[in-house]
Amino acid sequence: MNTGIGIVGASYYLPPKRKAVTDIFRDEQIPAEPLAANVDFQRDIGIEAVHVASEESATSLGLNASRSVLEKTGIDPAEIDLIIDFTSIPEEYIAPTWSAAGIVQKEIGATDAFVTAVNTGGCASYHTTLKVACSLMAAHDRYRTALLFAGDKVPEFNHTYYPITVICDGGSAVILKKGHEKQQILSVEVATLGKLHDVWYIPGFHRRDPADKDRKWLHMTANIPKFNQEVIPMNLFMFRKVMRGALNLAGRKQQEVAYYIYPTFSTWDQKAFCQAFMVAPEKVFTDGLQRHGHLQETDMVLDYIDAIDEGHIKEGDLVMLTTNGAGFSWGAALIQH
Amino acid sequence: METQVGIAAAAVTLPARRRDVGSLFQEESAILNPDIAARLGIEEVPICNGESASAMALAACQEALRRAELDVAQLDVIVDYTILPQEYLVPAWNMSNKLQHELGAKKALTVGFSGGGATNFLVALSSAAAMLQANEKLMSALLVAADVTIPGNRILNPSDPVSVLGDAAGAMVLKKRGKGSVLIDTGLHTDGSHHDVCYIPGGALAHPDDPALYRMELDKERFDKAPKSETLNDMLGTLLTRAGVEREDVVFALYPNLSREDQQQFADGMGFSADQINSDNRKYHGHLQGTDFVINYLSMIESGTVDKGQHFLAASHGMGFLAGVSLLEL
Repeated sequence: MNTGIGIVGASYYLPPKRKAVTDIFRDEQIPAEPLAANVDFQRDIGIEAVHVASEESATSLGLNASRSVLEKTGIDPAEIDLIIDFTSIPEEYIAPTWSAAGIVQKEIGATDAFVTAVNTGGCASYHTTLKVACSLMAAHDRYRTALLFAGDKVPEFNHTYYPITVICDGGSAVILKKGHEKQQILSVEVATLGKLHDVWYIPGFHRRDPADKDRKWLHMTANIPKFNQEVIPMNLFMFRKVMRGALNLAGRKQQEVAYYIYPTFSTWDQKAFCQAFMVAPEKVFTDGLQRHGHLQETDMVLDYIDAIDEGHIKEGDLVMLTTNGAGFSWGAALIQH
Repeated sequence: METQVGIAAAAVTLPARRRDVGSLFQEESAILNPDIAARLGIEEVPICNGESASAMALAACQEALRRAELDVAQLDVIVDYTILPQEYLVPAWNMSNKLQHELGAKKALTVGFSGGGATNFLVALSSAAAMLQANEKLMSALLVAADVTIPGNRILNPSDPVSVLGDAAGAMVLKKRGKGSVLIDTGLHTDGSHHDVCYIPGGALAHPDDPALYRMELDKERFDKAPKSETLNDMLGTLLTRAGVEREDVVFALYPNLSREDQQQFADGMGFSADQINSDNRKYHGHLQGTDFVINYLSMIESGTVDKGQHFLAASHGMGFLAGVSLLEL
């Protein structure tokens, strides 16, 4: 399988303000006791500081990244036929009624585009969106150029997704083009386990406790016992499933994969991935963890860009982008450089 | 489109409880005079009385799958086109995953779309069809939505009412190379400047705490000015040319049940007569968001208005933000 669609360019935007994770742990009252015999969340997470949007809106993060990728690629906004917002946490207004895609269309002047938002997948929403975008572009001649973007801003005092990671605010954008011969998307595989739909969730305004002055109803909430009992035992099995699926669709083998883009959750998570799939640590982009922590679905774009810019990915390399999302979703995409 | 995708079956779940619009207007302190009643053309709407959105959706899905004679274990894709707030906050959570589990659709992948009002159904229809066409392994898709109105928010724009919202769930099964109505093509177009013509201002990052803003708001002035039927007319022309179908060969239109006035404007603008659009569902159910298409499709099939081989369309202005037109053949 080859979708015939390539990545023309990608960009990200990180707000300038930074906050040290030690300050985040203090402000968010994160437990100090070790997670397991050999893992101490606060000591071993491997993240030094994250970017914080403060007064910048979630939409502006995605918009800045979109403007940046247009400038980088020289694509005329009038060429864009399709815009998809793949943000995985709440934006300015309530979804699914609204998404930031309309504002981005208006602000960049993509007057001929059809815009929508993919609203499922958690951190794998980039893969779900790639699957949808590539399908629409393959099935219809009129969708030739697509802009995919995300802008994530967590509410104040919700930067820690304990016991997984610490969240950074930021935006990302990618331009896809039919017939683009470089950075070709060979395959995209997505799998979901619906029984895990409520491991990670945000309660919402309608479930708020009026006495809650900390807006916990707008915070990411974890069912930790369910995470430990049902997600952990399935996680690597599902990674294997989607990566094999992507390789099979493209007719390629794991040994041919030159480089991996994997989420920047924590040191112990990256180590577990490398060990489970016998991937040498130098074949996985891990530097982003210390620099900025985890950016939800934008990890897949940001780390990909930095890996290219810093010389880890070279012409001719086969690159695997793989992630899990919100406990219920897994994605893998193969990109031929 | 080379590989045909067809509608194999559809089903709707409506809550048993019903309310007449007079009592709803009274409850929401809105004025219902004969002029407004005539413009709306809605007499009553179905209202949940303890039923959850996902429970209604599950029932609709199970019935649609039964009618389609599709083993749920073989289902490949579940697409959620709900437009109102769900059981938890979207996009961090989406009903499609809960349904995947409750249906037992173990091999299905899930997708959901946001924005565009009732047109979100056409986004789901077009995207699901594209996924079946572009991916050899994917053979079937289930479109589903469940919209339950925010309490006290049934009259859209109470100062100058535009619609009355009912509660419902709808489901539609698509099959690759299957029997049933064939989707020929879909056109979708967005006007980003109208992203906030119809939305819920509060409850997310912009205005998290104000209960008065946690309700569907319509900017009536911009809604009225938006070129709705004109845009749909142009889009239909493009679709027909591309498909090589004559305008007079389109014998029926599936159109949202927003109001009598809105349906009349659409019919006048597109050159349809009153009997080419279903109006009974509007009268007895009000506006059910994207599920309007499913319920109107079922009524069209049941009525026998459209014969095998005839063309019909599904169209929606998406409140001036997202316009969509699908051309289909029975």
